[in-house]
Amino acid sequence: MAGLKDGDDYRDGERFKIPALLQLLCLGVGGGGTLLFFILRFAMPEKAGAMGYSWLFAVIFFLSLAVGGLFWTMLHHASNSGWGTVVRRLMENLASLIPFMLVLGLPLLVSFFGFRDALWEWFPKREKALHHAEEAAKSEMPAYVAERKAAVEKAAAAVEAAKKELAEVTSPSPGHRVHLERKIAELQKKADVLAKEDLSEEGAMATLTDKHFLHEAALLFKKRGYLNETFWWIRQIFYFVVLAGIAFLLRGWSLKQDRDGDPKWFRWMRRWSCGLLLFFATAWTFLVFDWLMGLDYSWFSTMWGVYLFAGAALNSMGFLIILLTLLRKAGYLKNVVTMEHYHLMGKLMHAFVIFWAYIAFSQFFLIWYANITEETKFFLTRNTGFWNTYTIAFLVIGHFFVPFVALLLRSVKKLPHVISLIAGWNLLMHAFDLYWIIIPERGPSLTAESGHVAITIPGAWVFDILAFVSVGGLFGFFLLRQLASASLFPCRDPRLDESLNVVN
Amino acid sequence: MSNSSSSSNELFGYVAEFSSATDLYHAAEKVRDAGFRRWDVHTPYPVHGMDHAMGLGKSWLSALVLCGGVTGSLTALALQFFTQVSLYPTVVQDKPTNLFTIPAFFPVTFELTILFSAFATLIGLFALIMLPRWNHPLFNSPLFSKFSNDGFLLVIEARDPKFKREKTKELLSEIGAGKIEEVTY
Repeated sequence: MAGLKDGDDYRDGERFKIPALLQLLCLGVGGGGTLLFFILRFAMPEKAGAMGYSWLFAVIFFLSLAVGGLFWTMLHHASNSGWGTVVRRLMENLASLIPFMLVLGLPLLVSFFGFRDALWEWFPKREKALHHAEEAAKSEMPAYVAERKAAVEKAAAAVEAAKKELAEVTSPSPGHRVHLERKIAELQKKADVLAKEDLSEEGAMATLTDKHFLHEAALLFKKRGYLNETFWWIRQIFYFVVLAGIAFLLRGWSLKQDRDGDPKWFRWMRRWSCGLLLFFATAWTFLVFDWLMGLDYSWFSTMWGVYLFAGAALNSMGFLIILLTLLRKAGYLKNVVTMEHYHLMGKLMHAFVIFWAYIAFSQFFLIWYANITEETKFFLTRNTGFWNTYTIAFLVIGHFFVPFVALLLRSVKKLPHVISLIAGWNLLMHAFDLYWIIIPERGPSLTAESGHVAITIPGAWVFDILAFVSVGGLFGFFLLRQLASASLFPCRDPRLDESLNVVN
Repeated sequence: MSNSSSSSNELFGYVAEFSSATDLYHAAEKVRDAGFRRWDVHTPYPVHGMDHAMGLGKSWLSALVLCGGVTGSLTALALQFFTQVSLYPTVVQDKPTNLFTIPAFFPVTFELTILFSAFATLIGLFALIMLPRWNHPLFNSPLFSKFSNDGFLLVIEARDPKFKREKTKELLSEIGAGKIEEVTY
């Protein structure tokens, strides 16, 4: 058994040795499952749309855990905390999985796999509307240009006529002169406005396309500044650079400190975390806007970002608790982590159970009370059929009441196995939460054009499970590798002693 | 207060001064192991882990707060359901008046839960530490006033069943007390 014993030197940290069998299992399940998933995708092209939802569900679940890990790392630095230094490396390792998860999400973003257009209908709808608008504009353009040009000429002629009228009046009274001058100015203004319009081929095309686009898909036209492919890709790159970049940066500095013990790195991490939290929050908020809220482009909720953030932070903490227990079971971190750390992490998890419920309820409450058609859509879908029972059972009772009551007792938070069990329950509920966010959109979206709207796609749950297991396997594989690549705790951090002896 | 008259020289207990928080911490462990029940420590700042060194159990306060919170929730729900569902069904914005009106009642329920918990915390805390009171015998001790400055003090009360006038004083000097002062009522 590996691990530090009493009297060991802490300076070189503690190295994790990957259990070969576990690594092979993760790689086998993850790699094999992913391969199978994509073979099935091309074997059954008619199921591609349904499979897109499955893949999104799996990727966003594990991505949210990694993003939560990044949040806890940054919060730890930004708040200048001392309690969690011994578990900070686990947070950093979790955060370092962000790039892997985002790369796994890439098949969703490109149109090649047929996932993108099924998930985010604004892509095909916008393309179709734009195409129609362009066709219409093209056919209308010559007549339109001629008509507008005639109008410009007519307006100019009217100005000339008015000027002529003024010139022809002999010795007008001052009142009459002013009246005529005003008339000329007004006509001139009108003519200027008309003349300003770009009546070149491109200019007329743009005007007409916009007009027809608005007519064909008003919502997509109004949102065209945000919902367009160019900006979409800029945003995706932004998410990758910000989330993966911060994770890479903070873990890198932390590892450097492991090697040279220079407290400079500790100060850097603290200083940078505060400012970077802003970018982190922006990136995650807009990522879930694009990936999840975008599943129905006509719906919106300003609480969406913080809702998904609450779930990510809560379950990332739960995942850390489970990971810690498993590592300790394997003989690691035994002399480093105490029940005090469990207690603290349990308290944070409890706080976020409440925070999640607070946000989730507030979002529901405002929409429910206001009862505005374009907002209630989301909950209407999730109150239809069995989704209603699902919501009450898994989200109201399972996600909030059960862990809330279970975590009230202090003793529960100091028993590693019990709190790990509750954390496992929370993770399960988080999966149900994300399933509830993504999957109810699948039936109505995919069957919208058939005329008979279905709530669910029969048999598609198989893909959900396959995708979840596959991405989970790869997640586990990468996590094992990250764990083994450095000491399991930041062994030369200035706050290490404080963390080792923490009492709360 | 009958026993606060200065003429009675009945012993309240001992105040012992220690030179540091660490000394006080270890002294507390020894007093705990000696089996005393009526004693306390006073320091200028909170000392982490002192509750453990003193052998203090878990406070009852959290149980009181839980009772307060549950009372708050039930009061709010009862009040709203009774008045707006059973007594005078109030239809607002075409919302139902039955069990499923509950989302509308949540904000008030939440607030009353917090309010009653806060009351229970405050009142419960005062009850547990027996405040407010007019005076305390410890204020008769000149040494005691150091606790808010630089004194690390340990107080053993005479009403403790293990308290013996001479032996307890000896114990205190044994475990490293500097100055020991007798405090009378």
